[in-house]
Amino acid sequence: MIRGVIVMNDQGNPRLIKFYEFQPPEKQQELVRSIYRILCSRAENVSNFVKADSLLGPNVRLVYKTFSTLYFVFIFDKSENELAMMDLMQVFVETLNKCFREVCELHVVFNFYKIHMILDEIILGGQVLETSSEEVANAVDAISRLEKNANSMIPSFSGWHR
Amino acid sequence: MGSQGGFGQSKEFLDLIKSIGESRSKAEEDRIVLREVETLKLRLNDPNTPKYKLKEYIIRLLYVEMLGHDASFGYIHAVKMTHDENLLLKRSGYLAVTLFLNEDHDLIILIVNTIQKDLKSDNYLVVCAALNAVCRLINEETIPAVLPQVVELLGHQKEAVRKKAVMALHRFSQKAPGSVSHLISNFRKKLCDNDPGVMGAALCPLFDLITADVDKYKDLVVSFVNILKQVAERRLPKTYDYHQMPAPFIQIKLLKILSLLGIGDKKASEQMYTIVGDIMRKCDSTSNIGNAILYESICCVSSLHPNPKLLEAAADAIAKFLKSDSHNLKYLGIDALTRLIKINPEIAEQHQLAVIDCLEDPDDTLKRKTFDLLYKMTKSSNVEVIVDRMIEYMISINDSHYKTEIASRCVELGEQFAPSNQWFIQTMNKVFEHAGDLVNAKVAHNLMKLIAEGFGEDDDTADSQLRSSAVESYLRIMGEPKLPSAFLQVICWVLGEYGIADDKYSSSYIIGKLCDVAEAHPDDDTVKAYAVTGIMKIYSFEIASGKPVDLLPECQSLIEEMLASHSTDLQQRAYELQSIFTLDAQAVKKIMPVDSTCDDIESDKNLSFLDGYVQQAIENGAQPYIPESERFGISSISDFKSHEEHETSAHALRFEAYELPKPSLPHNIPPVLASSTELVPVEPSYVADILHPTSAPSASDAGSSELKLRLDGVQKKWGRPTYSSPAPSSSSIDQVKVQNETPRPDSASSSKPKIPDTSYISRKQQIEISPEKQKLAASLFGGSAKSEGRHLPSQKNSKTQNHTSDTSRSSKAPAPDTAVKTSQPPPDLLDMGEPSIASSTPSVDPFKQFEGLFDFTQETTPVSTGGVDGATKDSDFTSLFADMSLSAQTHIDPNPEPNGLRGSKVEPSAHQLNKGPNLKEALEKDALVRHVGVTPSGQNPILFKDLLG
Repeated sequence: MIRGVIVMNDQGNPRLIKFYEFQPPEKQQELVRSIYRILCSRAENVSNFVKADSLLGPNVRLVYKTFSTLYFVFIFDKSENELAMMDLMQVFVETLNKCFREVCELHVVFNFYKIHMILDEIILGGQVLETSSEEVANAVDAISRLEKNANSMIPSFSGWHR
Repeated sequence: MGSQGGFGQSKEFLDLIKSIGESRSKAEEDRIVLREVETLKLRLNDPNTPKYKLKEYIIRLLYVEMLGHDASFGYIHAVKMTHDENLLLKRSGYLAVTLFLNEDHDLIILIVNTIQKDLKSDNYLVVCAALNAVCRLINEETIPAVLPQVVELLGHQKEAVRKKAVMALHRFSQKAPGSVSHLISNFRKKLCDNDPGVMGAALCPLFDLITADVDKYKDLVVSFVNILKQVAERRLPKTYDYHQMPAPFIQIKLLKILSLLGIGDKKASEQMYTIVGDIMRKCDSTSNIGNAILYESICCVSSLHPNPKLLEAAADAIAKFLKSDSHNLKYLGIDALTRLIKINPEIAEQHQLAVIDCLEDPDDTLKRKTFDLLYKMTKSSNVEVIVDRMIEYMISINDSHYKTEIASRCVELGEQFAPSNQWFIQTMNKVFEHAGDLVNAKVAHNLMKLIAEGFGEDDDTADSQLRSSAVESYLRIMGEPKLPSAFLQVICWVLGEYGIADDKYSSSYIIGKLCDVAEAHPDDDTVKAYAVTGIMKIYSFEIASGKPVDLLPECQSLIEEMLASHSTDLQQRAYELQSIFTLDAQAVKKIMPVDSTCDDIESDKNLSFLDGYVQQAIENGAQPYIPESERFGISSISDFKSHEEHETSAHALRFEAYELPKPSLPHNIPPVLASSTELVPVEPSYVADILHPTSAPSASDAGSSELKLRLDGVQKKWGRPTYSSPAPSSSSIDQVKVQNETPRPDSASSSKPKIPDTSYISRKQQIEISPEKQKLAASLFGGSAKSEGRHLPSQKNSKTQNHTSDTSRSSKAPAPDTAVKTSQPPPDLLDMGEPSIASSTPSVDPFKQFEGLFDFTQETTPVSTGGVDGATKDSDFTSLFADMSLSAQTHIDPNPEPNGLRGSKVEPSAHQLNKGPNLKEALEKDALVRHVGVTPSGQNPILFKDLLG
């Protein structure tokens, strides 16, 4: 299963942390730090895989990829295929691109909620749920629409829809 | 803000992020975040905060926690939000609780009710949100509360809900297999769901279930094969395609499942051969996902019952991976190779150069993967090279986790395949020196044992040579600072036992050294104990041989220090050492016999030597000993026993409960043991101190066997685990036993260290490589180091082939490497003054271009570009060869190409081009060539004439 997804920027600031098995906040911070250290030490043009058994136990590996200023990291165990994880990451990023046009770090920061929503449509309980970025984007759109409708029931406030 | 998908944030949030982004130090950031925490605390606790603001506050809270600050005060607000009717608030609440809480958190109980209600909601989005939360927040206790609803949702009309319900059920079975065991049939049913997505979701739990118990699911083999077939034949709706591959994630999952079902099952495997073969053929190896499926197929093939055709296909695919420029693919290639060599060990030889390239790659991940491979393919013929490499790498890294792993692997391989004891000791020294504190303590004892036992034959001279070389190496090493404790223990023990065995060193010299060790490690009681026992042995040997001995002053002070030690163990040893001097030679000889560690120690379990004493005591009116088991019986039939007896037995019962397992006979062990117990770790724990160090094996043995008679929990709970575990007591008997089952191959196998298999030799001779790698490859893969046979004609053939008919992708690689080679090793080629060389060395650039092309093909996929590529590349090569021809006449190609080799075999040298041949490197290589003694033959110019015609 997939153990977790981390997005951080090239300074090691976390932008999204999601673990599919509970990790206490301190442990999460520690993981982010040590993963950042590992990623920094890796040269360019090497493989995108890292063995992470010192962090999370035997057979745990991670796949990472950089997209502009962001590191995307998927942590998973031996029941997943490394290359397939790369593609799943691709799906994730493609979907982000669909939802935000030219996605960048700021989008991720400001749309924390939506990013989680997207990720929840792709991965559920550590298992791959959907791999078509189109489907994911549609689902997310549908949810957003419905939420907006629900939201409009709340008395309007000028600062709400900026 | 429009680009942010309409999810506007308030100014506050913007400012917060901005100021965090601009903060110059961690402290400043912390201050900002803490201020934010205070704000949020106020706002969230304020009952007047409008609802629509809540969502933003909770998101900000998530953000704060993500940055590593405590947000626990807000958890309850997140829980409250899940209760809200408003969809947005509810979903935000669910998101927050899934991120904040763990499944055992106290607040969960407040959410379960809401989840129950939401699972029944008409709005599928609410249901989905609740299912998300279920996956993350429900634990074993709360599963029953939501289980009925989740099961009901398996039949929901929306496939998204069905999918999530399957996943939720899967989560339950992961967390508490028992709770859903009656529902497993649902997973099977969902395989037939008319939505492929739901079917795909059902594969996940089935994969787990099959992993746990294969046999229950053998009946599904046909179904899985059928599904896979339908997927591979593109029968699924187009929407399931991903990068032109039909439902790749489902394919991968199915392949994983099939490989589980096929392990060791010929019949099942046979059903799968066709479809797996089909998939491998159809795989689009230019896309990432295509390669993922290909790799998964190889894994599947390697676990199925072997099928020659599939294995061949797998080997071809591996060759493709290894040949690739992508490190990811190389990594997978190495991994796949590791799997395949279990079935077909020879396959590794085809790829030896690729493997060596990976080993030298700067990519750590790849390197480690390659070490995994080497570890799996180690045998006695290549153990030296592999372990040397491992140690070299071990020294170079800092990651203590991996260091430990690799050190224990070195030890394991050394113990298993060591060609000679000498080598073993040297290797272990190296491992200990650099990772001594990381390896298992057992290893140290194995090493001591080996030195004590020698070759296991009656070859005394060899044994003593081994020992004196060990002593010598230790005397050399021990001065170094910061040696690991385990290693020092070994050193002390060996010096004590064999330091003066060959009369090379005086006793005072060795004793002085041992004192130094003890002094240099004032905090390490274990090392000190080893040292003082070593000293004791040396003195004993001296006394026993009748020489006059003087207590060295530094030794005297050491003893005094130890007498005052907090450790009773050290005190004991110091007293023992002191008392040695008061004994005569004969007594000392008995206590510390020279070189007696390997002698079997007869321990008298019945303590028969006490029989006389016992007899006498009974005659004097003492009560006879009643075995504990019988004592127990007495208490149960005590009705007709006298009151007094009843009391004793009752007393006995209580006594047992607390005291029984304590080895109660420690002092009766013959003193001979003293010298052998040193083989055992000196446990600095209190247990070890309480138990007399020589506490007998007989005692603990007796204790445990006694215990087996009665298994009524209580006693076991109190007694057994405490006393059966401490290592020291098991001592001598274990020792003797282990000594007999020598873990290393004996001299029978070690005497023929490097007789390479003939098959390797022949292959070896065919493959052409740079000498440096050739040598390494030879030692790794068992070939002869220098290939003599140079098959000129064949070389000619293959080269012309490359040069002319080079349009297919598979033969791209070999072509450039011919060029590389010509520019490399021969000495005259490397004459720096020759301008033509200078022009031929830039050959790097064409390769770079070529790499670019290669990438290009990977990216753009279509097969048709292959032709174009080939053409462009061809022109590159022709230009190269044209360059070459200027100088080539005088040059020699030391690396003949093999005859009629498939791409896979030629491939290895292709990796040279990654490194880019430059003059400096070439020079170094040349130096190495000379050093190794491979001198190029002088016939090759003909080749070039032929080639360039």
